[in-house]
Amino acid sequence: MAEQAPDVPRLCGDDLVTVAVAGAAAAGRLAAVLREDPTWLEAVPGLATVVARFDATVTDPRTACERLGRALAAGAPQAATEAPPVRVPVRYGGVDGPDLEAICRELGLTRDAFVAAHTSGWYRVAMLGFTPGFAYVSGLDERLSVGRLERPRQRVPAGSVGIAGAWTGLYALAGPGGWPLIGRTPLRLFDPAGEEPFRLAPGQRIRFEAIGRDEDAAP
Amino acid sequence: MSMHVIRPGLQTTIQAGPRRRLRHLGIPAAGAADPLSLALANRLVGNAPEAAGLEITLYGPVLDVDAPAMVAVTGADVAVRVNGEEHPLHESFALRAGDRLEIGACSRGARSYLAVGGAFAAVAEFGSVSTYMPAALGGLDGRALRAGDRLDVAGRPPKAGNAATPSEFRPVFTDAWALRACPGAEAGQLGTGTLAVLTGTNWTVGRRADRMGLELTGALLAVESAGRMPSAPVFPGTLQCPGDGTPFLLGIDAQTTGGYPRVLQVARCDRHLLGQLRPGDRLRLLLREPAAAVADLRDKHAYFARWLPDIASVV
Repeated sequence: MAEQAPDVPRLCGDDLVTVAVAGAAAAGRLAAVLREDPTWLEAVPGLATVVARFDATVTDPRTACERLGRALAAGAPQAATEAPPVRVPVRYGGVDGPDLEAICRELGLTRDAFVAAHTSGWYRVAMLGFTPGFAYVSGLDERLSVGRLERPRQRVPAGSVGIAGAWTGLYALAGPGGWPLIGRTPLRLFDPAGEEPFRLAPGQRIRFEAIGRDEDAAP
Repeated sequence: MSMHVIRPGLQTTIQAGPRRRLRHLGIPAAGAADPLSLALANRLVGNAPEAAGLEITLYGPVLDVDAPAMVAVTGADVAVRVNGEEHPLHESFALRAGDRLEIGACSRGARSYLAVGGAFAAVAEFGSVSTYMPAALGGLDGRALRAGDRLDVAGRPPKAGNAATPSEFRPVFTDAWALRACPGAEAGQLGTGTLAVLTGTNWTVGRRADRMGLELTGALLAVESAGRMPSAPVFPGTLQCPGDGTPFLLGIDAQTTGGYPRVLQVARCDRHLLGQLRPGDRLRLLLREPAAAVADLRDKHAYFARWLPDIASVV
């Protein structure tokens, strides 16, 4: 199979340049390389893109596009180590997952079938983003794919577990959210005072486990 | 020197410079929603442009002062009173022990800034003392002021006499705004005529308006693939279009990634104004090519540099 030609970086603002990449892992690697270069004030991976911000009073927009293109062509090294796998306990449905019933109706699944599907198999943390500690998790069974909410919620509780497209999302903090919610984890995903503030790391493998209403799992 | 919070105001937070280079970890910028106004206030009391000040939202606090201090208020038009006597914005003034400083309701614009000589004390987290409430970072326990709180001054106040912002450097606030913006990453997905709707509509800032963003009402946008896009980086000033077609303009506390099409990006030269839009204000979006927006930025820097030499680090 012929290798796909790399995307050409383009501006998406007067101080922002974006480029499409093969996936979250490639985006994470490219962004990490860019962060070593003082040209970039921010280099942020998405699930299939990288956006980098530059100081347009120092680097003109065309030069920024060229520099990002060169970094893309040079390639990025593989991540050295991977954090050990972790289990993520989830209370599915009810007040913890207010959209689970509607999702099951849309997908034509019983609640038990949904939970069985969501707790089977390994997932991987594709990236952190959105708000501190929010984890985008890949590996969702394609039978469970649904769209985002038409209208985002202004507030979802910390620990909420949502799904959208091919992804499961873990809300580390209370705040607005646009993903339909299937459950909630008691795991503390972001602890700013902790030695390691983030419970999960990009690339880490995880597994979801259904727990009862009153169970609290040790982090 | 410290100040005691008698009445906190609607949402008064300690804000300084933004968190930088941490968006890949999901850590948003935070910092003053109108960093130009904070820098102007700091300039009047002899502080660095990003020194920690109080950001006052729509309705201000009442503070009792227990030692002499030099202060200044800038930003949204607001009544400032010391022991009942009114003080104008953009002029520094001395407070004495026992004074009561009262800040009223913002009449134009959404946020005023109070700077104190020496800056307010707060603990830095992830490189900044700025308050980011959703994760309780920075400021006073990561939250807005409450009655009974005590605010301390961080350092020795710089030697600063009375100062006033020259009139040509005082931003004029309005209830009808125009912000320059460049095409966003998904601008190409806009249906025929949708770009004309974006730039031709006289938008109204909706009731959902806070440091994370502003909902715009007045028209609905038709955007392909809305709601099914892989999450991608967003920034303060990104205009997102969710599936229901109501555009959402991200603010200084903007999340770091989002899954809705990014149709426009407010140009850097006008991003400092995002913090001054309030519910009910009108907004026009002016489309600019990136190169033209950079030229506008240089013009703004050149203009303000005569009063704020560090303007390029602020705006």
